[in-house]
Amino acid sequence: MSVDTRRAAPEVATDDRARVRRVGRGALFLVMVGVAVVMLYPFWVMVVDSLKSENQFLSGHGFSWASWRTLTSTIPIAQEVVSSTIICAVSILLILLVGLPAGFAFAKLKFRASGVIFLAIVSAMMVPLQAILMPEFVNITRLGLTGGYTGAVLVYAALGTPFSVFLFATYFRGVPDELIEAGIVDGLGYVGALWRLVVPIAIPAIATVTVLQFIQIWDDLLVGLLFIQNTSERPITVGLAVLAAGRTTSIPALMAGSLVSALPAMMVYLIFQRYLVKGLTMGIDR
Amino acid sequence: MAEITFSGVTKVFAGNVTAVDSLDLHVADGEFMVLVGPSGCGKTTALRMLAGLEEISSGTLSIGGQVVNNVLPKDRDVAMVFQNYALYPHMTVAQNMGFALKIRGESKAEVERKVREAATILRLGDYLDRRPRALSGGQRQRVAMGRAIVRSPQAFLMDEPLSNLDAQLRVEMRVEIARIQRLLGVATVYVTHDQIEAMTMGDRVAVMRGGQLQQVAPPQALYDHPANEFVAGFMGSPPMNLLRVRTSPSRGRVGIAVGDQRLDVPAAYGATHDLPRDEDAEVVLGVRPEDIDVVGSDVSGPTLKTRVERREALGAEILVHLSVADSGPASSVAYDEDAVVSRPTTLVARMAPQARVEVGDVLMVRLNEERLHFFDGRAGVTLRRERV
Repeated sequence: MSVDTRRAAPEVATDDRARVRRVGRGALFLVMVGVAVVMLYPFWVMVVDSLKSENQFLSGHGFSWASWRTLTSTIPIAQEVVSSTIICAVSILLILLVGLPAGFAFAKLKFRASGVIFLAIVSAMMVPLQAILMPEFVNITRLGLTGGYTGAVLVYAALGTPFSVFLFATYFRGVPDELIEAGIVDGLGYVGALWRLVVPIAIPAIATVTVLQFIQIWDDLLVGLLFIQNTSERPITVGLAVLAAGRTTSIPALMAGSLVSALPAMMVYLIFQRYLVKGLTMGIDR
Repeated sequence: MAEITFSGVTKVFAGNVTAVDSLDLHVADGEFMVLVGPSGCGKTTALRMLAGLEEISSGTLSIGGQVVNNVLPKDRDVAMVFQNYALYPHMTVAQNMGFALKIRGESKAEVERKVREAATILRLGDYLDRRPRALSGGQRQRVAMGRAIVRSPQAFLMDEPLSNLDAQLRVEMRVEIARIQRLLGVATVYVTHDQIEAMTMGDRVAVMRGGQLQQVAPPQALYDHPANEFVAGFMGSPPMNLLRVRTSPSRGRVGIAVGDQRLDVPAAYGATHDLPRDEDAEVVLGVRPEDIDVVGSDVSGPTLKTRVERREALGAEILVHLSVADSGPASSVAYDEDAVVSRPTTLVARMAPQARVEVGDVLMVRLNEERLHFFDGRAGVTLRRERV
């Protein structure tokens, strides 16, 4: 009896390939689990330690709300969260209000020297905050805006706008001209076409700008520390710095504060991450 | 509803590129005018100037007697259908169709009524709540039409609206668009590069090339009496055979030499055409593929001895590529950079599928003596006195 090796051989090869693929996938999974643990462990520590009193933290046993009570009695945490929210919201609103029309103009309108101006705006993205902090401070002080939110909001908006212009211009270049022309023939002007036709389909780009700017502004300490001198209007990052600088030495209370500070940025990221991936990869498949 | 008039309309783009060169064209109220021509001939630019999407460099453009050179697109009261439909992706079919009315400030009830009416005409009633991405190509095309017709505009402008559809759907939509246009009786300017669409849809067809208008006429007149070599070569598939030949008068009659063969031009052409009387003048002879018949060697009339080079069976007909046998250097097909190119000294004949023709056969063919075309050898314009 003869064995048909011609048919058996490919099956063996297929089995081998499948096994290699399974092992590869398993290994990749383990690596990803490892990375996830490394990323999530500090967060876990923050959550667990914030639910302990000073003594429980030192002994390593038990849970209580003591650190949260310490936190809320030491600094006006709720009000600082509100301040951070206001600063973020207004700054992002300004960034969008400037970035959307500017990006649209660079992508879709023909005007003299648009290329050079676009290049100048994009190159502003490369300038680090620290390099312009002192002139900004002098300017804002001269304008008398260093007390409350206004100065910080202007600085954040100025820093975030170049990136948003760049991102929106890139995104809008992918929007067919005919869509805008159809709107114009239907009775819209360019402004109408932007707000009623282009913005509704630019949600991924808007989400990307919103998330990235939110994380940046929410987590920033320097601008808040310098430009917001009214203690009643300081953001959460400044509050935490003050807390760590001597108001309390309780690690659990600091953990609780850090958690309050980190949570909103994480939530914003999780809510918008679906759009974020779309927004960041746009243009790749065109 | 209104008539449209282009008077010496010119468009010069940056870099001194003339896209449309002094276009004179009148579209009557309710007329279906097709602008046809190869890529880059200026037809789309002309349409975009009409829509107000492109500025006019010189000349005047009027809609309904009003000069619109400096009128904004939204105030021209024209509706446009784009090649890629340009539907608003975030709106439903009904919202897409009613958008222009909403901007105009019409009441919600009125918008709904008009959208329903248009949807009935277009058989879109079941899809009003869908988004464009949930529609097939043909349905999207109909929504684009619907968006135009709900507005009851003064004119419809259509920029190659069928070119993204597959062949079968294109035939269906061709009929559909022509039906709707006749139903509504709105002046329509339809841009296409497809001469079949031009022939089947337009009341009149304007053929453009290199920014210049070549000829405007009803489709059949255009086919029967092309004004120049370009139109002759562009309209018709396969295109008209164009042979660059030399006159060879004999015994008071005009004859032409095709290679070393001689054709007598029927005397009737002397009355209708300005044929050169000199010996050896260059003319271009045009003959449509359907005007070539296989005959015996003993028949009279303009006949040529040819050899079958290639045979293409299309089912309903056969296209036979014939070389003019023993042809010398004097005979060659007139070349035109934009015309569909055929091989030198080759004629394409359209024959019935039963015709027993094989590659290599030597055939005597007769050209339909009532349907010969003559063009000036240099300028390429028809030698026919009465122009269409």
